[in-house]
Amino acid sequence: MPDAPFSLRLYQRLLKLYPAGFRENYAELLEREFRDELNESNGTAALAILWIRLIADLAISVPSQFAREVTQDARHALRLWARHPWHTGFAILALAIGIGANTGVFSVVNALLLRSLPFHDPERVVYLRYFFTPHDSAAQFHEWRRQSTYLADTALFEQFDANLGGAGEWRRAHVVQASSNFFSVLGAQPVLGRGFAPGEDVDGTGWGPPGPNAVAVIGYGLWQELFAGDQKAVGSTIRVDGNPLTIIGVAPPGFDYPGKTVLWKPAAFSPGNNGWETVARLKPGITWPQALAAFAIEADRLWPNRTALQRIKYPSTITELRDELAGPAKKGSLVLMACVVLILLIACTNVANLLMARTADRATELSIRSALGASRARISQQLLTECVLLSLAACAAGLFIAFWTTSIAAAFQPAALASQAYSILDGRVLCFTIAASVVSGLLFGVLPSLYANRVHTFRTRGSTANRSSRLIREALVAAQVMLTIVLLATSISVGRAFLDLMHVDRGFERTGLVTVNVSLEGTTHEGDSRRLAYFEEALARIRRLPGVRSASATECLPIYATSFMGGRFGMDGGPADENSMVNPVFPDYFRTMGGRILRGREFTEEELQSEARVAIVNELFASEFGSPADTVGRQVTTGNNPVWRIIGVVKGMDYMTEGANSPQIFVPSHSPGGFFSTFVARVNGRTEDRLAMIRDAIQSVDPQVPVFGVKTMEQRLFDALARPRFYRTAVLCFAAFALLLAVIGIYGIVSYTVAQRTHELGVRMALGTTPAHLRVSLLRQGLLPIAAGAIPGIAGAVLSGRLLESLVDGAKSVNVTTYAASVLFIALIAAIGIWVATRPIARLDIAEILRTG
Amino acid sequence: MPPKDQSAVGSLTPLSPAVFHILLSLGEGERHGYALKREIALRTGGKLNLGPGVLYGSINKMLELGLIEESDDRPDPHLDDERRRYYRITPYGRKVAQAEAARMRELVRLAGVRFGVPKHA
Repeated sequence: MPDAPFSLRLYQRLLKLYPAGFRENYAELLEREFRDELNESNGTAALAILWIRLIADLAISVPSQFAREVTQDARHALRLWARHPWHTGFAILALAIGIGANTGVFSVVNALLLRSLPFHDPERVVYLRYFFTPHDSAAQFHEWRRQSTYLADTALFEQFDANLGGAGEWRRAHVVQASSNFFSVLGAQPVLGRGFAPGEDVDGTGWGPPGPNAVAVIGYGLWQELFAGDQKAVGSTIRVDGNPLTIIGVAPPGFDYPGKTVLWKPAAFSPGNNGWETVARLKPGITWPQALAAFAIEADRLWPNRTALQRIKYPSTITELRDELAGPAKKGSLVLMACVVLILLIACTNVANLLMARTADRATELSIRSALGASRARISQQLLTECVLLSLAACAAGLFIAFWTTSIAAAFQPAALASQAYSILDGRVLCFTIAASVVSGLLFGVLPSLYANRVHTFRTRGSTANRSSRLIREALVAAQVMLTIVLLATSISVGRAFLDLMHVDRGFERTGLVTVNVSLEGTTHEGDSRRLAYFEEALARIRRLPGVRSASATECLPIYATSFMGGRFGMDGGPADENSMVNPVFPDYFRTMGGRILRGREFTEEELQSEARVAIVNELFASEFGSPADTVGRQVTTGNNPVWRIIGVVKGMDYMTEGANSPQIFVPSHSPGGFFSTFVARVNGRTEDRLAMIRDAIQSVDPQVPVFGVKTMEQRLFDALARPRFYRTAVLCFAAFALLLAVIGIYGIVSYTVAQRTHELGVRMALGTTPAHLRVSLLRQGLLPIAAGAIPGIAGAVLSGRLLESLVDGAKSVNVTTYAASVLFIALIAAIGIWVATRPIARLDIAEILRTG
Repeated sequence: MPPKDQSAVGSLTPLSPAVFHILLSLGEGERHGYALKREIALRTGGKLNLGPGVLYGSINKMLELGLIEESDDRPDPHLDDERRRYYRITPYGRKVAQAEAARMRELVRLAGVRFGVPKHA
């Protein structure tokens, strides 16, 4: 039998598949059986049959033996847990929160940064910012896109809100006009009908000419809602701002790019439209550095003579579309991810601490088992089973918490990614959860296992083992304190950034202000004079209402408007460095908004009616051409042509939108009722109570006119700051939770020490030491790990503060005083915990202790 | 310790074929593992050929249940191999085997009533 040694060696290796307990008892016997069988197997065929039978035997017996031992260990663990229900409950809760928060935040990171967009080959799709493709006519654009050396194809689109449906049945919806190749560039095929055909994007203004251009692809959700998924939807007509469009296709489910769009129509190109955005697909074989280089050259060619200031303020960039969509949420999510990883680490150290204390308690049991023949492997297997069981219980509970976290995150993340629903029911997220559970199980299981091995080695419950166990647990507390300081400093930094955001001067008074949007597109009030008449009538009715102090209207309300009219305006022929935003407003606008008129006055009713060429400029615009004090009376010009005479200078308003906080020019609103038209009213009393009244007054002018966005200005600000507020609340909760875990950890270690040292403490009291003295001594000992953790904690907080500055807008590293206050705060909370934990010392019965000792 | 009262006897049945055959073999006297395996294979005409894992898995379970125990005695000193472990049936194991036999007998009786007893079984 030439194969005998090999077969034997192989079988010896295979025996290691059995669980430790069975292996210890039977490995020798099994091996002997194998030898006997091997001796009886003559010839290759007999050997082959022997191996087939052995493999079948292993396949049956290994899992059954594992199940047997794991069941035994699990039962043992459950009995132990039942004896310490609070310890166990706390351990599971701590881990569940750690794992759950991690899973929830990871599902957001997964959706934002990892999962593919609902496009074909999405990593080749790029977004081009401050890149001015020729777009005066359809022919000009298509000719340009065909000659690109690095882009396979480029599409333009413009997004806006519009009224969908007929009179009385309108709804406000996000719509897009796009070049005919929009769907092919993104690689999305309509599920029904077709996309745009070449030639359907034409030259024209507004809604474009009727005919080939008056077609639309609708979103899957809208198709379900309006047509209940009926295939006859294709070919029917839908009205957008009163314009009839023929439906030619239905977008695939989940496709709503850009930002919850429900309808796409072919573009109507007209000279001077600056609202276009650009997406493109890279040519196959073009690397990212090649694309960057080619883009930089072309961006310069398309926007020559850019000033240094313009290069800084409007840098041309080419980014992966996914990164563009993730935007500010990307950095915020990464900060949250870092925070929840810290939480999980703290939870793990805490559970490790609990298990260490329990393993130390069980030293006698483990020693006895060891003396009875249980091997190191068998004891480790048992402890590992306990840890895995704990992890699994926490993992199951964590999934519930993750579900909750995910739904909160979904409410606060940006609309641009609405198609990217956050879900924990995703392969990658579930793998992450299981990995987090296993890794945390190993993290908190490894120290108790190592300690158990020491017990096994010494086979005694010696004082050395006790001391080393205490040292390890104190080191764990120090680690917790360190991580808690980092989280606390982070939360303070993020919290301060949010407070700064809340209290920034936005150039208007946000309280006591009612805002209501209307859109006259597609109504009977088309035409400048009719539009103006409608607004005048509505304002008159609002002003007559009780409790209304003043009322006005604007075409671009701060926070609400996302696109603007504007252009390059100068003063008295002097050219400007950058574009100015132009906002048509009604008389009384600044008084109503609580704006500040620095020089001059507001528009009068007569100036509005007579279409007077007058303007109010903001301080930024005025200061570009000299002192704001001398601005009134000068002319706003384009080139050398006067456009408006300046009658006032105001403090600029913060629109919280890119490009809007530039020089601002306010002009009388001769043709109101566009995309972002808003009535504003300053009211007495509780603002919310005035909403319905003002809405009804506007609706009473013409019930067919869409009235929406009935909100107080504070509500709008609240909504606009939802994401930073969410980050602040989340980080604060994490810091509070970390602090709680750390305090419980410290409390646990001290109360355990008191229980362990009862005899020694009793003797010391018998020798004359007072309980108060003993408690102070324990307090000193308990605070040591905090001091030890504070030093690396502050170092970590300094590093994380620098990182935060780059990740969170407005976040600043906290100063030394705040670090010191954080440490003192933790020490104070911990000191209270320790003092409470040492309370039993005062109640020690010295006589009883001495008698039993 | 495993339960050994009368009610526990019934709760262990039906026994797996491996366990019942091991009890049957040990009912005749003490055996080591390999002898058990060979005897069972012989008795069943090779139909029940226990692999080492299943054999010692069953023995492990039977030891825990108290059906068998390890024996220090060696039946024949000349044939003894000290590296082998010998097992013998316990009184409790005998009761469980009896209960299993009774259960089987009742099944055979019932089958006889329902289907008749073949002449050449």
